[in-house]
Amino acid sequence: MPVKGPKLWLISSGVAMLSLTLLPGQASAAPHSSQNSATTSETTQGYSANRNVTQSSQTPSAPAQPWPNAPAPGLPSTPQQSQGFRPYADVPTEKLRVRVIDGRTLQPLKGTEVVIAETEQRVTTNGDGYTPWINVPVLRSERFRPLVAELHGQLTAIAYKNGYRDSIHMGIRIHDGVRSETTIWMYKISPEDRRIEPVLYQVPYHHLWLIQLADKFRRPSQLGEGWQRP
Amino acid sequence: MNKAIGLAGTSALLALSTGSVFATSAHAQVQTVDNTPEPATIRVAIRSMNPSGEPDPRGKIMYVQNIPFREYVEDCLPNEWIPSWNVEALKAGALAVKMFAWYHHLNPITMDGFTYDVDNTTNFQTFRYDSRQIETNAAVNAVFKYAYVRRNGEIIELNYRAGTQNSPNWQYRNAQKMAQWGSQYWADEGRNYLQILQFYYANRDLRQIRT
Repeated sequence: MPVKGPKLWLISSGVAMLSLTLLPGQASAAPHSSQNSATTSETTQGYSANRNVTQSSQTPSAPAQPWPNAPAPGLPSTPQQSQGFRPYADVPTEKLRVRVIDGRTLQPLKGTEVVIAETEQRVTTNGDGYTPWINVPVLRSERFRPLVAELHGQLTAIAYKNGYRDSIHMGIRIHDGVRSETTIWMYKISPEDRRIEPVLYQVPYHHLWLIQLADKFRRPSQLGEGWQRP
Repeated sequence: MNKAIGLAGTSALLALSTGSVFATSAHAQVQTVDNTPEPATIRVAIRSMNPSGEPDPRGKIMYVQNIPFREYVEDCLPNEWIPSWNVEALKAGALAVKMFAWYHHLNPITMDGFTYDVDNTTNFQTFRYDSRQIETNAAVNAVFKYAYVRRNGEIIELNYRAGTQNSPNWQYRNAQKMAQWGSQYWADEGRNYLQILQFYYANRDLRQIRT
């Protein structure tokens, strides 16, 4: 039975979309393997090399720094120059230190494990409630990059400690070229707590960026508050 | 005759009343850096959050928090200026945040049963508890012993607005308000914090606070 034109188009566009969403290392398994073999092998090699970097950084003896682009502590925070092809853009890194305190007594919490969700870095707080300085990427939201570049990167940190609710801290501001600090509040689990679930704290967007975002789409004749007047 | 007496009486009354007005204004205490101590604390009204968890300028006042003055300035600056900006822009910002808060400490508001100096939203200055950063703290530290006031020392509000990026924002100078983006523009052009403040505010002096 002959297949009609539109149906064919749908199938072919579906394959194209599928191939776009596949990771480079999986490209050889895609149905369109009849493409240029040289390109495919190069992509696969590049991705494998990148995976190897990731795996080698997770050796038990090394401190947990699974972020593949993060330079070693003590080195200047410039994008790492890697050998060979890598499918991902280099991300600049900056220093971050997290302080964890008891949300009620405001006293520092020692021995809290803090995980950076985007990079899976794990660090522990000292007696003053501070984690060591770590290199973290300055990640800006892909959604807004083509519209109005965010004025700072954002990260998520999760704090764990026995006897306390987990604390999720989203939107931690990471600025280019400077060190950043943030404080996480943790709340002790008490006998009257029935549902023990994580506590979320979301850092709001910087107001200067919100103004830029609103102005980006404002028409000259737009109703509303209009352009800011001094 | 009666009319003349009446007019004379009226004018005498007017003279008396205007005289008293002038006498009052002549004796009114102008709050200057010389006769007004720097505030030790400031009353910050904490407004409720909107459903997405951001402080709402139209939200209800939940409580008033008493915060050490310097701590307040440190926790405002990174939420008003960008910590990665030029250090001179941050210093200009630190003085503006401080003088804005000082003025409102001298002119508190009573609303909905709460008396407060400022709130934690863009109604006044964006404040987030314990959000201070190293770079902004350094800027606060550098200028905290100064006040930027009128020539006679009077403490007035240093107003500022966002402005637009990569522009000197001349219109803000005309309105006697500092543009935040403008402060970064001028700092990148090589001006120091005092030159930035002098660009946006006319007839002001930088004074060192006596302790």
